[in-house]
Amino acid sequence: MTPSPMIQLMKEKAEAVQAVVFQIGDFKEAVTYTIDLTKRQNGRNIAAGGLSKDQEDALREACAQAHLTLLPFPLRPHANKIHTSLTLADWGIAETGTLVIDSTKEDIRIATMLAEIHVAVLPASRIKPDAEALEREIDGILKKDAPAYLAFITGASRTADIERVLAIGVHGPKELHILITG
Amino acid sequence: MIKTPSDMKSYKERIRKALTDPFLRSALDKFNTQYRENRPRIYAGVDFEGIRDEIAAAKDDALPALMDLYESFKKHAEASGAKVHLVRDAEEANRTISEIARENGVKKIAKSKSMTAEEIFLNDHLIEAGYEVIETDLGEWIIQLRHEGPSHMVMPAIHLSRYQVGDLFGKVTGKKQDSENIDKLVKVARERLRPAFLTAGMGISGANFALADSGALGMVTNEGNMRLVTTLPSVHVALVGIEKLVPNLKSALRILKVLPRNATGQAITSYVTWIKGANESLSSFSHRKILHIVFLDNGRLAMAKDPIFSEALRCIRCGACANVCPIYSKVGEHRYGHVYIGAIGLILTLFYHGKESDRVIVQNCLNCQACKSVCPVDIDLPYLIKKTYRLVLDQENRKPVKNLLLSRILKNRKLFHFLLRRAYLAQKPFAAGDTVIRHLPHFFEKAHGFRSLPVIAKTPFRDRWKRIAPKAEASGKTVALFAGCAVDFIYPEQGESLFEILQKQNVGLEFPLDQTCCGLPAMMAAEEETSKELARQNIEAFADVKAEHILTLCASCASHLKHNYPKILGDSPEVKAFTDKIIDFSSYMINILKVIPEQFLPSGKKVAYHAPCHLCRGLGVHREPRELITVCGASYVPSKDEDVCCGFGGSYSVDFPEISSEILKKKLDNVEASGAEILVTDCPGCVLQLRGGMDKRGRGIEVKHLAELCAQSLKSSAT
Ligand code: SF4
Ligand code: SF4
Repeated sequence: MTPSPMIQLMKEKAEAVQAVVFQIGDFKEAVTYTIDLTKRQNGRNIAAGGLSKDQEDALREACAQAHLTLLPFPLRPHANKIHTSLTLADWGIAETGTLVIDSTKEDIRIATMLAEIHVAVLPASRIKPDAEALEREIDGILKKDAPAYLAFITGASRTADIERVLAIGVHGPKELHILITG
Repeated sequence: MIKTPSDMKSYKERIRKALTDPFLRSALDKFNTQYRENRPRIYAGVDFEGIRDEIAAAKDDALPALMDLYESFKKHAEASGAKVHLVRDAEEANRTISEIARENGVKKIAKSKSMTAEEIFLNDHLIEAGYEVIETDLGEWIIQLRHEGPSHMVMPAIHLSRYQVGDLFGKVTGKKQDSENIDKLVKVARERLRPAFLTAGMGISGANFALADSGALGMVTNEGNMRLVTTLPSVHVALVGIEKLVPNLKSALRILKVLPRNATGQAITSYVTWIKGANESLSSFSHRKILHIVFLDNGRLAMAKDPIFSEALRCIRCGACANVCPIYSKVGEHRYGHVYIGAIGLILTLFYHGKESDRVIVQNCLNCQACKSVCPVDIDLPYLIKKTYRLVLDQENRKPVKNLLLSRILKNRKLFHFLLRRAYLAQKPFAAGDTVIRHLPHFFEKAHGFRSLPVIAKTPFRDRWKRIAPKAEASGKTVALFAGCAVDFIYPEQGESLFEILQKQNVGLEFPLDQTCCGLPAMMAAEEETSKELARQNIEAFADVKAEHILTLCASCASHLKHNYPKILGDSPEVKAFTDKIIDFSSYMINILKVIPEQFLPSGKKVAYHAPCHLCRGLGVHREPRELITVCGASYVPSKDEDVCCGFGGSYSVDFPEISSEILKKKLDNVEASGAEILVTDCPGCVLQLRGGMDKRGRGIEVKHLAELCAQSLKSSAT
């Protein structure tokens, strides 16, 4: 199957900022991917963020089999030791390879900010050409008179503060993996 | 706390020190070059000018309505649980923030980068009030540990080498660090700062946008520390300059298209975060974040109403005006700004930090237009810098002698020209019969000796004109010459070259004798009344001239006449009739006369080109001069950084010879490396600088005005 031009662009742009991008079949593959990745890196645990009940159960079962800990909610007490986080992205922005994640829940924030490795699942149907194409959706979240924390995430955390040399993984995740489903 | 010298002598001392710091010099030079080289790639497929104009217009619409935007923002933000404050000045801001800390029993504060916090010296204040404040942005942390201020708005530690950082981190960790391994150094910060986020009671951030129609803040960052600062502690204070208010998400997204590109060469930063209201937070008793948004006025609301300076409030703090500035890349750091660095810093310092901190640095500008050309919100930075200087002078109520002389002499053309003729006699003994002065009389400082100086011509162009002026009117086209002081009194032969060319092309030339100095030197010295008077005199001098074009051989005059006259005099039809006619030499040759190679005798000489600032950036002329070199039978050899300033800047080169000579040196090195035999340019000021420098080098590369090169090889027309 050749991916659509939009998926292709999303992949290209995300890879250009050192994200690891794969197209996969369904969420189950994402679970396998995350577990393998964590074990390969000698990680001990996984944190979930924004998953459905079924997805969480699937992850819990797989973690148990692989002798990994699925960190319980709330994540705050574990904030300092999360190895991998597996979260769902709400949208993708192809033009810049960006993930848009509604992080209003604190657990999602902690999972996406403090994990060493962040794996995000992005349904292909949620990829938009540019940020402008998401204006209505974002406004929908920001314009409710209620708190909101919405994140655009593009690649892993980075800095060029020492001699303008690019270094990846300052305060945020050191790796970002994007798994495009569907 | 940052200290910026308020007297020229200590400022010069600092500059001299910077000029001998090899790391600083090479780092900033490299940065400047790479930044300019990368720009076309970064902006590929993006209509920079289109978006720039849209943002500028949107900002200009929003500024008069700041208070309405503020009210709307406040309403929405507070409805979602935030508390919004508007503070008048730095003192009130600092007091408000430490009050919030006290109320919430905070001891430790984690900060992410905020220029607005730097502006009010928030850290100093909080530390004095007994709080522990930890900067968490890598660059900010480094300079905090070194007790310094940021040396660049985007890269606060750009003045430090990896070795300095390695040593510093060695001290902090008590373990020797491998300075060559920047990745590892970065991880030191990651490990050392993690506990700070987790144990701080309060986080302080800035914001790039405040969306009036939703009450959300937008933040554009890369490291991820801002996300932690705004998430982990129970209290979050966002300190925001009130000009960051935009009507809606759409306006913010438009700015987001250029901000990361201009600041760090990224299409987008790693993180763009939108925060609204009291989000869930298990760190507080209520399980709700305590969010205070503090809008800082500090003179901005008054500035927003100022017809001239409101433009400066469009600034989105991308830092690019420093990146491309030839002076910043030589002297760096706070030698080019106070808290805010770069061209915009020279302006804002007066408004936010007072004249003492700005009075000296504001004079350190070449008017080279490089900053203006990259500013994503189209601020006329060089113009505002001069306007700022004028404000400083007004506030001090005391003018330098130079200004008094300028205004006395320049306004009176006859007196001015009389003095120029006298100058010929005065300098004769130093020229020793030559056309240049190689050894300056002893009352000049040694620093001025980097170039030889031309002597004032014995017979200025206006006198020669009386002799050569064609008696009969030409049958076809006619052009009027605006000579400018340099062509008239120093290089009349450049004017004669033009005359020769036009004669061979059967084009009539007019030279209104009442024309005078264009007024740019007066504007550079902030002598506004004088520059206005001169503008008026020149428009009058050319009022009856029938020519279709007013040609100048001086790019600086041309750009001043064309772009600054409407600003100085207002955009009347009379002014427009004049400015519409202004054209530079090569545009006239290529686009109007449409000269072709067959009209020239090819010399095949290897010719390098220097693009005068006011031609390439001022008038936007790029193709024509290079084409003309080839058309007139020479072989154009490109050289590096052709469009970087030569360091002349009129009286700048006299006021700051140390910097001017450094900029010139690099220029001439590049020309030599190109293998050229001749260097041409199309501005007599640049000729003065480049020829003077080449002459001192004595390597036989000739420096000419493009008109001279053309005149030499142009054949007589058949008719
Ligand atoms: S005009 Fe040139 S010298 Fe002056 S601030 Fe701008 S870039 Fe620097
Ligand atoms: S003045 Fe323009 S170029 Fe300079 S920092 Fe502000 S927006 Fe950027």
